[in-house]
Amino acid sequence: MVKIKVKINGETYIREVEENRTLLHFLREDLGLTGTKEGCGAGECGACTIIMNGKSVNSCLVLAPEADGAAIETIEGEAKQGKLSKLQQAFDKHHAVQCGFCTPGMIMTIKELLAKNPKPTEEEIRQGIEGNFCRCTGYQQIIEAVQDATGQRKEKGDLKYV
Amino acid sequence: MLCEFTYLAPKKEKELLDILTEKGPELKLLAGGTDLLANIRLGVITPTIVVDLKKIPGYNVLRFDKKAGLEVGPAVTINQLKDHPDVKKNYHILTIAAEHLASHQLRNRATVIGNIVNASPSADMVPALLCLEASVVIVSKEGERTVPLKEFFTGVKKTVLRPEEILSQLLVPEKHTRAKGGFFKLKRIQGHDLGVVGVALLKTKDEYKCGISSAAPTPVLVEGIPLNTPAKKIIDKVLGAITPIDDIRGSKDYRNFMVGVYIKRLLEELR
Ligand SMILES: Cc1cc2nc3c(=O)[nH]c(=O)nc-3n(C[C@H](O)[C@H](O)[C@H](O)COP(=O)(O)OP(=O)(O)OC[C@H]3O[C@@H](n4cnc5c(N)ncnc54)[C@H](O)[C@@H]3O)c2cc1C
Ligand code: FES
Ligand code: FES
Repeated sequence: MVKIKVKINGETYIREVEENRTLLHFLREDLGLTGTKEGCGAGECGACTIIMNGKSVNSCLVLAPEADGAAIETIEGEAKQGKLSKLQQAFDKHHAVQCGFCTPGMIMTIKELLAKNPKPTEEEIRQGIEGNFCRCTGYQQIIEAVQDATGQRKEKGDLKYV
Repeated sequence: MLCEFTYLAPKKEKELLDILTEKGPELKLLAGGTDLLANIRLGVITPTIVVDLKKIPGYNVLRFDKKAGLEVGPAVTINQLKDHPDVKKNYHILTIAAEHLASHQLRNRATVIGNIVNASPSADMVPALLCLEASVVIVSKEGERTVPLKEFFTGVKKTVLRPEEILSQLLVPEKHTRAKGGFFKLKRIQGHDLGVVGVALLKTKDEYKCGISSAAPTPVLVEGIPLNTPAKKIIDKVLGAITPIDDIRGSKDYRNFMVGVYIKRLLEELR
C-alpha cells in the first residue's frame, strides 16, 4: 500500500491505495465516484476518460500511485449546485445521450478540447473524440451538441437552463 | 486485475540506475504505461516491480538547438512533441507521424521513447525517426552508449537494450531540419487503430529516405535513393526491402500494394 494525495473536483483526498490499483478502480471502487465508466479497461474505448492536470487521459491506463499530487476532474464535477454544465445541457437538448455509458468520458474529452480550442470545426470535433466510442448515437448528435455549446449552430440555443 | 507489484518512483537518475542494476530482470520501467499496463492487464508480463521514470527531473526535456538538433527525454509525450512549434517547423514529418498515433487521450500519456522501446513493427514514430537519422542514448551504472536508431531494433519487440539499461535520450540531428517529408498510415477505420502499413518519405538535400512500418519484424529504412529516381524504381527498391505477412489487419499483397500507392502520393507531394 502507498499513501496518495489527490485533488478531485476541488476536494482533497488522502488515501492508502494498493500499488497495482488503476486510477479508474481507485475512483470507482475506493471513492465511490462511479460516474467514470469502465468499458474495455485497455485504452481503446475512452469510457474511463478523466482530466488529470489539465489533460484528458484514459484512467484505466494510469496507476493510482502515479496520480499522487495530481489535480483530477471527473464527470461528478461538471454540474454545479444541481445545475448541469453548458456542455451537459447541450448533450441533453440534442439527444447526444442514449444509453449514457460513453457520456462521462465523452464530456471530459470534449471539455479538454474546448479548453484549448473554444470553437472546433466539425472535423476537429470528430478527431478530438476519436478515442471515445459511442455505440448508440452514431456521433452526429454529439457533434451537434458540441457545436451548439460553442455557439456554432444556426437554430439559436434555447439551452434549457442557461 | 493487475498482478501484484511494488511501485517505485525514484527522484534521481542515480537511484534509478541503482535499482536497474540490482533488480533489472524482474522490474519493468513505466513511462506513459499505455503499452506496459495493457500488457500487465493481459497477463503477458508479470513484473514484481514497476519503476515510474516520470518523476526524475530532466526526463521531461524537449529542446531544439540549431546546432545540436532535437533532444527528447523519456517522459516527453507524443502530444508534447506534436504540439511543439520547433518540431513542427524543423521536423514536420514528426508532427505528422505523431498525429497518426492512437487517440488524443492516449497521446497525452504515451511517450515518444516508449514508442521506440516497445519495438512494435507498427510503431508510428519510428519510420519518420529512421528517416531523420535519429539515435538513442542508453545509460546504465556502467556508463553510456549512443546507438543509431537503425541499429536499435533486433526483432519483433526486441532491441539491443539490456535489463539494467534505460533509454535516456532520443537525439534527432540538425542535418535534416526543414527537409520536406510526409507519412501515410493505412488503418482499417478512420478512428484510432494500429497501422496496417505505414510509409514515411523524407526528401533530404541529396536523396530520398523511406521508412516503413508494419511490413517486417522491425520498422525498415531504405536510404540512398537519388532524387531523380523514377517512382517505379523507388517502389521496387522498397518492396525488395520489406517482408510483410498476412495477418488479422491485412494481407501481404494489400500491404505491398499500399506501400506503392503511398510512395506515389508522397512523391507527388514532395517533388
Ligand atoms: C488503445 C491503444 C492504441 C494504440 N495505438 C497506437 C498507434 O496507433 N500507434 C502506435 O505506434 N502505438 C500505439 N499504441 C501503443 C503505445 O501507445 C505506444 O507505443 C506508446 O508510444 C508507448 O509509450 P508509453 O510511454 O505508453 O510506453 P510504456 O507502456 O510506458 O512502455 C513501453 C515499454 O517500453 C519500456 N520503456 C519505456 N520507456 C523506457 C525507457 N526510457 N528506457 C527503457 N525502457 C523503457 C517499458 O518498460 C515498456 O516495456 C497503442 C496502445 C493502446 C493501448
Ligand atoms: S475503459 Fe479505459 S479506455 Fe476503455
Ligand atoms: S450513448 Fe450509448 S454508448 Fe454512447
